[in-house]
Amino acid sequence: MRIEQQPAYVLHARPYRETSLLLECLTRDHGRLGVVARGVRRERARLQRAQLEPFQPLAIDLMLRGELATLLGAEPAGLPLRLPGDAGLAGLYLNELVVRLTGRQDPHPPLYEAYAQTLPQLCMPAGLGWTLRRFERDLLDALGYGLQLSFDADSGESLDEDGDYLYRAEHGPVRCAPGTARALRGGDLLAFAQDRKPSAAGLAALRGMMREVIRFHLGGGELRAWRVLAGAVSRR
Amino acid sequence: MSSGSPLLADLIEALRCLPGVGGKSAQRMAFHLLERERERGLKLAAAMEQAMRRIGNCTRCRNFSEEPVCALCAGTGRDRHVLCVVESPTDLAAIEQATGYRGQYFVLLGRLSPLDGLGPDELGLAQLAERLGEGEIEEMIIATNPTVEGEATAHYLAQLARAGGVKPTRLAHGVPLGGELEFVDRGTLAHAFGSRQSLE
Ligand SMILES: [Zn+2]
Repeated sequence: MRIEQQPAYVLHARPYRETSLLLECLTRDHGRLGVVARGVRRERARLQRAQLEPFQPLAIDLMLRGELATLLGAEPAGLPLRLPGDAGLAGLYLNELVVRLTGRQDPHPPLYEAYAQTLPQLCMPAGLGWTLRRFERDLLDALGYGLQLSFDADSGESLDEDGDYLYRAEHGPVRCAPGTARALRGGDLLAFAQDRKPSAAGLAALRGMMREVIRFHLGGGELRAWRVLAGAVSRR
Repeated sequence: MSSGSPLLADLIEALRCLPGVGGKSAQRMAFHLLERERERGLKLAAAMEQAMRRIGNCTRCRNFSEEPVCALCAGTGRDRHVLCVVESPTDLAAIEQATGYRGQYFVLLGRLSPLDGLGPDELGLAQLAERLGEGEIEEMIIATNPTVEGEATAHYLAQLARAGGVKPTRLAHGVPLGGELEFVDRGTLAHAFGSRQSLE
């Protein structure tokens, strides 16, 4: 199947055979694809290779046959995006998250939209943590693992703004005693559901909650980027 | 192989691990060694055997070395106040050959790349932090590649340096010498434009 002018981002590239790269691309209409870019590791293909770096909006032409696609052409579909500093580390986290949680050739157009909107936001002063939590929430939603953030999963009652909750993956928030470790305020969960930025303490608790949920969907695995981000942030 | 020699077939297959060597070149090399260079072929085999078995990594800079501490780290001829961090031994060799740099090195043997399983531990960053903490180094030159992963690594390293009270610097990158703007890729041009220098 020939695919033309497909909006895409390169998530990762690894050397493949003598002179080629095997790219993991997030495409809008075909989900994540393994794409072979032939000959781009040759010296004279330096320009082509530079274009295949992560975070750049591309329009790509492909031939998809079986498990892997072959790259026929790639051109920029917008200004090159630079993610300096922590934004770059956060971008690598986004890419690891997408590759680890999605299968190849499993299309999720809302995920593509969320990814494309999140990248430029990583550079904004609004706060990296909040940007990442929103992306994680939208990613899970797009993959059909959406969070339940409106009622107590045990009692069925609406969340109490001032109540304390623990979030159980694939179940939802359940009431816990005040002062329980890793507890979340009902108000912060509701804010998260309504896309309002919670308090700093709420954001920190949401980070822990999202890690638990992501770990659950990874089958208990860890993301390498968590260690990278932890190291970068701990030196503030 | 149609020659009926399993050893020859093994040799040809083994030679194919070299970069740029396919089946045809491997066969040419094997025939060449057997027909004309037996003596030197044996030397090659011996050198290969020794190198593969005995070359490890320097405990200070992680570059290739058969001693626990390599000659460059152990010697007294280099400036101990400057440390240059590179991704690979190849990059170290390139800097040695192209510049008059006289300081020390640290080789990451990779770059931060979560999807390749490369994080701070794999790059020996605790070891690097320890070295910065010794107090001798004043400047850390970050010479990772100008790729997305190389830049992210540079940012991480800069934080590590600042935490250790060391001044981080970064190789400049921009338009290649002898290049014309028209033919420079957009990313490089944007970067060169952004980091333009005053001519005053
Ligand atoms: Zn050394």
